[in-house]
Amino acid sequence: MKQLIFAVIIAYVGGSATAFAVQHSVMQKGKIFSESEISIKKGDTILFVNDDNIAHNILSTSPGNEFNLGSQAPGTSIPVAFEKTGEATVLCAIHPRMKLSVTITD
Amino acid sequence: MRLNITRIISFSGGIAVAAVALTVGIKGNATPVKFSADPTVQRLKLEYRRPDSIPFPKNNPYTTEKAALGKRLYFDTRLSAANVLSCASCHSPAYGWGDGQPKGVGHGMKQLGRRSPSIVNAAFGQIFMWDGRAESLEMQALGPIKTDVEMNLPVDQLLERLKSIPEYGPLFQAAFPGEGISPDNIAKAIATYERTVVSDRAPFDRWIEGNETAISDEAKRGFVVFNTKAACSNCHSGWNFTDDSFHDIGLPDTDIGRGKFFPNVIKMQHAFKTPGLREITRRSPYMHDGSISTLEGVMEHYDNGGIKRDSLSELMRPLGLSAQEKSDLVAFMKSLTSEMDPTTVPVLPR
Repeated sequence: MKQLIFAVIIAYVGGSATAFAVQHSVMQKGKIFSESEISIKKGDTILFVNDDNIAHNILSTSPGNEFNLGSQAPGTSIPVAFEKTGEATVLCAIHPRMKLSVTITD
Repeated sequence: MRLNITRIISFSGGIAVAAVALTVGIKGNATPVKFSADPTVQRLKLEYRRPDSIPFPKNNPYTTEKAALGKRLYFDTRLSAANVLSCASCHSPAYGWGDGQPKGVGHGMKQLGRRSPSIVNAAFGQIFMWDGRAESLEMQALGPIKTDVEMNLPVDQLLERLKSIPEYGPLFQAAFPGEGISPDNIAKAIATYERTVVSDRAPFDRWIEGNETAISDEAKRGFVVFNTKAACSNCHSGWNFTDDSFHDIGLPDTDIGRGKFFPNVIKMQHAFKTPGLREITRRSPYMHDGSISTLEGVMEHYDNGGIKRDSLSELMRPLGLSAQEKSDLVAFMKSLTSEMDPTTVPVLPR
């Protein structure tokens, strides 16, 4: 909840169209994502939490929402903002069965 | 191959079972363990049930015509520049759909860099090649044909050659009405045939389904070690015994595997895809570099924990297995080999 409030305050101060940007959490445990699909608003962030005992390498090559978190150690969390509306696919390059479909809307 | 061929939109593979704490002890040569009565073993066995159908992708659904064409292409040596290599040369039913060599042999009889992987159960794979550079069987199919060190036949010459063989035309027409011979259709036909190559029911499957006499007590103990102390199931998970993931298992090899595509990710260096274990006794020698010739040798490698380096998988560690446990593990793995039906070689179009 603290993270949500913080995100809203930051967005408000910024005075941008992302005034209601929120942060969603997706866990990585047992070599699977905590969900297979998620719908968010443009400008929202997803906090990728590695709750596993092994490293992951989360990435997306979807146009406009490309990122590569590199080797993410167990116990760490990394936020990623999604700035382009549409569909994005998030994968783990080490564990290809880990797939997350992200729907980003205005 | 006894599975029903139907389309499955999504197939859910095995779930990692390493976290399941077994209550069954390893008894060595002592009193036989009551595997059939142990609820934890019964629960664990559910993770290894065979699927009842083969998944085909929506963009390349199964048809008998496509599979029949794909089989001919798969066995046709004219898909190589020198007319001597087919897909089956390196992925042969005679060797559990590999080639029995430590490393593959390509154009001009030159040795390749890695062992030829088996295509058995490729239909259930998520990603292909030892380093995962192909995201689908369709993407993979043309790769070896056009690669200069493998079959060395550029795509334009491949098309020219197939179009010059009169009996291929009607086969493509039947499989892809109105579309003709194209790179996409060649790939789709080969991929469709490859998806029909599924391991037969093995003694292990009969045990999973409730026949307590299908495998030996040694193999049953090996199954428990596999899932607990040795934790092989951390990676060799589910009915096909793979997580389709990439791990450095600490072999003394300079090949960086998937690291070529992810140079800045330490855990990708020396990382190769976990192979499945079905038909394993027909698939020696083992490992991506063919460096270990027996299952007993493989057990020794894992028991030692592999070379210590930054990229080594967190899951690799010395296991401290007893001679009995290693022997039990080998007995268990041998129970994964079926009495495979013979594969008929097709008469090729002329």
